[in-house]
Amino acid sequence: MNGEDLIEKILREGERRADEIEVFYARGLSVGTEIKKGILGNAEESEAWNMAVRTVRDGRIGFSATSDPDRWKECLDAALASGRLATPQQWGGFPKPADLAGTPSAADGDLVVAVEDAATMVGDLLAGAAEHPVEVVGGGADLARSYLAVANSSGVFYGMDRTVAAVSLEAIREQSTGYEFDASPFLADIDARSVGERAASLAARSLSGRDIETGRYDIVLSPVAAASLIGQVLLPALSGRNVKAGRSFLADKVGEQIFDERLSVYDDPFAPGLGSTAWDAEGTPTRRLVFVGQGVLQRFAYDLKTGYRYGERSTGSAVRSGGEGPGIGVHNLFIDGPRVKEPGDERAVWIHDVVGAHTANPFSGDFSVEISNPFWMEGGETVEPIRTAMLSGNVFEMLAGIGGLGNDARRVGRLTIPSIRLNNQQIIGK
Amino acid sequence: MAEVRYYDIRCVRGEITLVDIDNGVVESAGTSFFDKAVIRVLGSKGWGILTRDHVDIDSKREVERLVEAASRLAAVTEDHLDLADAPRGVLPPLPLKEDPREVDLEEKTRLLAGIEEAARVSGVGNTRARYTEGIDSVRFLDSSENEYSYEAVRSGFSVVAIASKNGVMQMGSERDHIATGFNLRNKQDLGRKAGEVAVSLLDAKIPKGGTKRAVLDPELAGVFTHEAVGHASEGDLVREGASVLGGKIGERIGCEALVIVDDPSLHEFGFIPVDAEGVAVERTEIVRDGILASYLHNRETLAAVGNGIPGHARSEHGAPPIVRMSNTFIENGDAAYDEILEECRDGILLIGSRGGQVDPGRGVFQFNAEYGYLIENGEKAGMVRDVSLSGEILSTLHNIVLVGNDRKMSPGYCGKGGQSVPVSDGAPHLLLADATIGGRGE
Repeated sequence: MNGEDLIEKILREGERRADEIEVFYARGLSVGTEIKKGILGNAEESEAWNMAVRTVRDGRIGFSATSDPDRWKECLDAALASGRLATPQQWGGFPKPADLAGTPSAADGDLVVAVEDAATMVGDLLAGAAEHPVEVVGGGADLARSYLAVANSSGVFYGMDRTVAAVSLEAIREQSTGYEFDASPFLADIDARSVGERAASLAARSLSGRDIETGRYDIVLSPVAAASLIGQVLLPALSGRNVKAGRSFLADKVGEQIFDERLSVYDDPFAPGLGSTAWDAEGTPTRRLVFVGQGVLQRFAYDLKTGYRYGERSTGSAVRSGGEGPGIGVHNLFIDGPRVKEPGDERAVWIHDVVGAHTANPFSGDFSVEISNPFWMEGGETVEPIRTAMLSGNVFEMLAGIGGLGNDARRVGRLTIPSIRLNNQQIIGK
Repeated sequence: MAEVRYYDIRCVRGEITLVDIDNGVVESAGTSFFDKAVIRVLGSKGWGILTRDHVDIDSKREVERLVEAASRLAAVTEDHLDLADAPRGVLPPLPLKEDPREVDLEEKTRLLAGIEEAARVSGVGNTRARYTEGIDSVRFLDSSENEYSYEAVRSGFSVVAIASKNGVMQMGSERDHIATGFNLRNKQDLGRKAGEVAVSLLDAKIPKGGTKRAVLDPELAGVFTHEAVGHASEGDLVREGASVLGGKIGERIGCEALVIVDDPSLHEFGFIPVDAEGVAVERTEIVRDGILASYLHNRETLAAVGNGIPGHARSEHGAPPIVRMSNTFIENGDAAYDEILEECRDGILLIGSRGGQVDPGRGVFQFNAEYGYLIENGEKAGMVRDVSLSGEILSTLHNIVLVGNDRKMSPGYCGKGGQSVPVSDGAPHLLLADATIGGRGE
């Protein structure tokens, strides 16, 4: 039985036993090649199949998922059983079919999921890394193609293709490490050689860093470091569910100037990207959402369940990961604003990445992390490595007054973000 | 068919039950199903690895077809691997005090709600609790005619409380996971503790960063052990040249009394009856009397690196096995807790863990405490929050001044290579000299 027939069958069976039913279906093929000892180590191929069922009966939402097509009946039974325990809530129905406004940019027709192609990309990564005197200690290339569909008993049946090309490389020179990566739906976006070269350059150039004294410094967070800290703190604060539950620092601040007026934060589901889509994980049409416009907080993100419960409308922000039920998230989030030539000419500490961003406090925004590949930056150039240090601060306070945005925006997962200059930040030397 | 030096197949079929209660609302309570298989073939050079859903391991034809497909993948590899011989054997499964499958979902939901409600102490505005239960049925066979099967049952919960006052929001969280049966009864105390910590943190100060003496409680000292030593001793990182502990066997890396162990056979949350390559598991002393004694290995890293013990291959279902920790700890020393505080004089006591991370190649790690107290004149003083500690692997173990006598293990999940596996780690109270404390206080 192919996916479409099975979905239809489950919808018909579910309709008999509940008020409404929704099926989310994903199947995919991926290949990966992993670098070991500076050459091609493992080669992997993965086929995956997953189906998630939600049922609604008298406002009680049930959920189950399975990776085994033969167990679909058990899965439907489990969803109905789980619905019997859920607390009933206001519910206005799954979405009806709609004219989808935007066109997503999520699949590359030319991308072939072949292990030979991934092996070629590993060759390019290694060729790039060979430009510097380093050892390659890890990394690899992945190619994937998947088909996603959402269907419900109100008549929605949307399907889409997604592709991913991803590379990474980890290099070391003595005790100096460098890591770089890139991922895109489009193979042509990926310059594996450049990724390898940049990782190797970080490892080679970070060697013999000088100590830094504890104190206050102007810093520049690279897009990677900025994405790590902002992703951990800002994304949960924009979730309508956290806002309504009293778990968001930003609750009650709509209309307020929360960030520097040069900063805007928006989700553009139609931009090319790993999360690009015309409908969200519940079949609600997506749209461009401005969360923060020139520093002013404008809105939060909602899915159906949170929307119905609190009298808000879904913003088309439902996302899914793995076999779990839908949650609130972003598709392609942009941190944007007017750029300066470089993130400032004046001397600053440039920080490539941080260690331990996930330990930041998402409710208060406070963090203290170890920094990776820090350099003294002068005239927009990284001139001299710094040995090691910690950075302590508060993400919300940092974004309230920035020193400027660099001209170097890049995609880091579902975020697209430039480097950010921040003045007068606390660095703890060793 | 391309050359096949060895193959194995590992199937994990199972159920995951989750209950999520948010501010008294049962958001979801249900069971999902999975059935994943990983087929590995060692060709003339390296591994070809296939991941599939729903493989019939008893069908010779299906197995042959998959082995052939994996061998074609292996043919593109260039890195030549060998597999060391390793002892075989499967430990009996952990006895279950109460089988969670015999408790119905309604009762699980009711018990979790009790824990979540207990967290709602005065001053707490939001509470959330999550129950996680995993039943894994594992089957393994390889081309050397090894075959085994076992079942693993894990049950536990986490509870989070958030208190707020004057625009300040603080969190308290507790968790408890076990592999020895159902684990939701009589746990309201942990809910209450999460609530009380959240409320008391509202008035806690952010400490000033800098170098000072630090006392780590057993939970945080466990995370320290895991991040500062455990990862860097993993044989795959050593083989790749990505660990500062590479080439350091027999060298002194810490104080004389220090013993650091990873023991997958210990009846804690990281217990496995046999590793993911069918190798028998045993206690591995990574550090003995302050000297680096063993790496953690799977069969290929043992062959390539030596100096260690195999049986440390683990995998999340549907992912290939890699070298992992299981139950990692520092053995008890002889210092009493009061003695440690007194010896600290002026410093900081750090409690609980919000996680950590390590760059094993650079030898730098970072981890975050849930909260702490300043220590003044050998006594606990004001409460502090949002405090983290970083250090360097090769020097930090020399800075352990005192090792307590009150080791305790804490359960958790560890991520590596995109895979998450259950682990536990622990230690007695430790006193560290010259600890780098991060905090933005003035």
